Amino acid sequence: MLTDYRPDSGSYDELLDADGAMRPSWSHVGTALDELGHDELVRRQSDVNRLLDADGVSYNAFGSTDPRGRRWSLDPVPMVLSSPEWAEIEAGVIDRAELLDLILSDIYGPRELVRRGLLPVNFLYRHPGFLRECDQIGVGRAASNLVTYAVDIARDSSGRYVAMSDRAQAPSGAGYALENRVVISRVLPSLYRDAQVHRLAPFFRVLRSALRDCAPESSPNRHDPRVVVLTPGPWSETAFEHAYLASYLGYSLVEGGDLIARNGRVWMRSLGRLEPVDVILRRVDDWFCDPLELRPDSQLGVPGLLDAARRGTVTMVNPLGSGIVESPALMAFLPAIAAHFIGREPRLPSVETWWCGDEKACQHVLANLATLVVKPIARDVGQSSILGWEQSSTALADLRARITMHPSEWCAQAQVTMSTTPTLTTAGFDARLSVLRAFAVARASSYVVMPGGLLRVAPDSSGALISNQSGALTKDAWVLASEPEKPTSYWLQSGPTVEAADPIGSMPSRAAENLFWLGRYAERAEDAVRLLRVIYDRRTEFASGTNPAGATCLEILLRTLTDVSTTYPGFVDEGARIAPGAELFSVIVDDDRPGTLAHAIHRLLDAAYAVRDQLSNDTWLVIGNLDREILALRDENGMSASERPITLQRALGSAMQSLLALGGLASESMVRDPGWHFMDAGRRLERALQLVALLRSTLRSVNGTATDSLLLESVLTTAESIITYRRRYRSQAQVETVLDLLLLDAGNPRSVVFQLDRLAADVALLPLQDAELASRAPVDRLSAVAKLVLETTTMLHLAETSLLATPDENGQRVGLDEFLGRLETLLRRCAAAVELSHFSHRLPQRAMSLDGRVQPELP
Amino acid sequence: MTYRVQHRTSYVYESLVSASYGVVYLLPRDTPAQRVVECHVGVVPEPDSYSEHVDFFGNRVANFTVLEGHTELIVTTTSVVDVIARQLPAFGTGPTWESVAEMVRSSDDPDVIDASQFLLDSPSAPVSDAVRAFASESFEAGRHLVDVLGDLTGRIYRRFQYKSGVTSLRTTPDELLTLGKGVCQDFAHLQIACLRAFGVPARYVSGYLETLPPPGRPKLIGADVSHAWVSAYLPTMGWVDLDPTNNVFVGERHICTAWGRDYADVSPLRGVIFTEAKSNTMTVSVDVTSLD
Repeated sequence: MLTDYRPDSGSYDELLDADGAMRPSWSHVGTALDELGHDELVRRQSDVNRLLDADGVSYNAFGSTDPRGRRWSLDPVPMVLSSPEWAEIEAGVIDRAELLDLILSDIYGPRELVRRGLLPVNFLYRHPGFLRECDQIGVGRAASNLVTYAVDIARDSSGRYVAMSDRAQAPSGAGYALENRVVISRVLPSLYRDAQVHRLAPFFRVLRSALRDCAPESSPNRHDPRVVVLTPGPWSETAFEHAYLASYLGYSLVEGGDLIARNGRVWMRSLGRLEPVDVILRRVDDWFCDPLELRPDSQLGVPGLLDAARRGTVTMVNPLGSGIVESPALMAFLPAIAAHFIGREPRLPSVETWWCGDEKACQHVLANLATLVVKPIARDVGQSSILGWEQSSTALADLRARITMHPSEWCAQAQVTMSTTPTLTTAGFDARLSVLRAFAVARASSYVVMPGGLLRVAPDSSGALISNQSGALTKDAWVLASEPEKPTSYWLQSGPTVEAADPIGSMPSRAAENLFWLGRYAERAEDAVRLLRVIYDRRTEFASGTNPAGATCLEILLRTLTDVSTTYPGFVDEGARIAPGAELFSVIVDDDRPGTLAHAIHRLLDAAYAVRDQLSNDTWLVIGNLDREILALRDENGMSASERPITLQRALGSAMQSLLALGGLASESMVRDPGWHFMDAGRRLERALQLVALLRSTLRSVNGTATDSLLLESVLTTAESIITYRRRYRSQAQVETVLDLLLLDAGNPRSVVFQLDRLAADVALLPLQDAELASRAPVDRLSAVAKLVLETTTMLHLAETSLLATPDENGQRVGLDEFLGRLETLLRRCAAAVELSHFSHRLPQRAMSLDGRVQPELP
Repeated sequence: MTYRVQHRTSYVYESLVSASYGVVYLLPRDTPAQRVVECHVGVVPEPDSYSEHVDFFGNRVANFTVLEGHTELIVTTTSVVDVIARQLPAFGTGPTWESVAEMVRSSDDPDVIDASQFLLDSPSAPVSDAVRAFASESFEAGRHLVDVLGDLTGRIYRRFQYKSGVTSLRTTPDELLTLGKGVCQDFAHLQIACLRAFGVPARYVSGYLETLPPPGRPKLIGADVSHAWVSAYLPTMGWVDLDPTNNVFVGERHICTAWGRDYADVSPLRGVIFTEAKSNTMTVSVDVTSLD
């Protein structure tokens, strides 16, 4: 199979040497892949995709508003690095990390490099990544300021390793590398086992202890400091990784709004109290981190964060301001700076770089523009490298003019012919350009490098630029051990027993709120599907229109759908009832219309992605496909699909399957921590609300025996109680007994009273607010929420169903309508009380207006 | 001269503010021309935390946090400063502006390198063709830099009308040239851009100016205001301060609080608040009293 593999002669190929012979380091893996054969590898590729889907691995392209992003692409063929090759890379990465750490410490410290002219004023002081506000702030007691570091390494045509770009702001990819390993080791288990590959887990153990060790000296819990992962939110490019790392390392995943600066330090708003935070592993770019001193319009940060870092009460990893050392232009100064600090060149050289602020360099760049990669010195969102050879002559002239206008803002780099590596395609194997992102973490005044890394290959056989934004494919990178490795695991740790983290303290209140809404939307979606299915069944049944009772029943059910889902005017408008297909279709698929099924599913997914660190891994297997068929409906020609009941029923059935599985997961795979109780409370409240609305809309009037019996049957089916009812009452349906079963039967998991009992149990276990704790009397006082739940339950228990079921002389059940109305109001007050008592809502963040502008004149 | 400066800023909000985070650039700093005897920042309501640090430019900065709900916030700075008589540069002496520009461009003296950062464009004082054209009249070939400074200061003073309410914090030197009127920040930004355009490092200085009542009238309390001027780099003398609003070299009646590249580096009071309130009333009163 690999005999068909024909790398281009211009590049160094990782698998084959210049004579086309397999390199010795690949012999084992290469032979094994050959034995598997192409067809089998293609099958393994689908295993890879299935596993990635099941884990919900995604990468969000910039500008995407869909938190699911695009699927992560992983090639099943690993990249192999021999022991000597790795030794060279590892030493190079360590050396480079140490050098950049020295530079970073100098830039925000004595600035000797500027004073000596090694770092031009015109570069440093012009660069937006140099944050003057962060001057003289270091990383507490850690030996290094640059705690985490990553570098993209290519191998040029001579086989030499070259650093293509440095990452120091908030290096991403280590979590993806870990997930790649998890997947590949499952897809190629025996090959992975026999190849003796260095494991990645120890690296994360080092990361964990590095973060622990940079906790502030002054922290009262510096031996077991509180570390949080700060994310911009579920829409950020690498949101998957933030959640993945947080849950793998056991840290809380927080957004800016979850943190607050108080008393000169940083706290997390957890359930009902503030928890001190010692170390922040940030995935938010530094200038967004503090609206008070950095970007005033940032909503991703924490006002006062910089001041806390300055006081040394919290450690930022990496420190604020560290983005400056990843400027590509810095590579132009690196040789001279290295000579100054360590008296030699860096072990891992940079790609040849010219900074246009230097006159001679600028002349070189302008003269060779068509052969260079041109970059602005500061990386900006949406602005990428310009490949000189891909530009038209007009574009080159334009670029030349821009450089000439502000030369110091530009730099250029030589083109590197990257090495190629075999990559699976449907046809065979392609030799694709590849680049390795290696990761390092500071340890004992040096660095530890992850053995392996994230290997990215070009999306096709022509591409020269590789970035995840433009849709790269990735590979697992295998560093072969020269001798068998001792199995160690991240989990097995010697030393003193660690105290278990307090589940209340470790959950931001935002996460609890999302779980609450996850419960509510999951139930809302489920109830919508049930009602819609009943309606479609009735439509099929009475399609001929010859049964007047059936037609009336359907009409009432349609109005009920509008009432329950609050998608007014909907079927309250008579026009819609004449040709209901379009409106029904809209209630299923229009996700920008509140109350629809698609809307509920969309919100459910939003809530789930916002708390993905709190949910079990299987969750993604279940909800990954939740909206797929519903969205597929919308993509088809709307009207024709709306009249195809089989397609619709199938889509509803598939959504129902996922929703039921989600409910099953919640009851079987989630720990009963406060988060679970919030989710369950949300589900209970929503189910009660939906049921009350259903009863109110269907039973308020008498419509004649034939219609009412069809209607009661529909209500019982929608409320998932038809079988119980038939078994129990064995007779024609009666309103009174239906009310008994759906309102008051404490043994029916679909009754309102059952929801309230469960809600009361949940509420009793929710953490109390600080203020409530403080004012706690010697007698056990009920919380505000518990009181409301009790009031609602009592009202329900006092209900007289026989009276409620009796209509007046006009055929109206006014008493029932009023009763259900009151019940609904109380339930809504319960829901509002949960939100008010447990979720902290900040007032909007605004900038203080600036000082006045009046001024004196000399008399 | 010894001065006592009191600067009071109050914000009144239309609805509750749950938290205020502020950064204060109102503490005077020690300079070759002044010595700070005492200074103090008071915040009402009582702040949850308060700290001071020295920033990148050597300015004294105070941070405060108010976490108690409030509808009014008052920040008061009180300071006592000794202003020392400084030697003003003599016209017709010193290096030409060309030699200064060349020296700043090529020197490897660390102090000159450090000063050269104030040559770079800054957001509020960008150099443009219009600025260059305006400045060129003062930058005659072979002229002493001191003479250029005096001439440029005088030209800005004479050319522009002092008028508040015409310009905003975002007004650029270009816009001032078109408008023909503005306030001290605008004049300072224009002069800074002019100097940088011709290779002379220049920075923005904020502070106060003692004002005297008209003869025979009592001095009104709170009638003084904050002020801004320019500092230019003369390698032979160090930094020389000029006040284009009043057409003077800065002397004993100017009290400096902070300096930076432009207004944005040293805006007196900025902050983040959490509130539904969309508007507020801000009142500033400043008193500069001579203690001599």
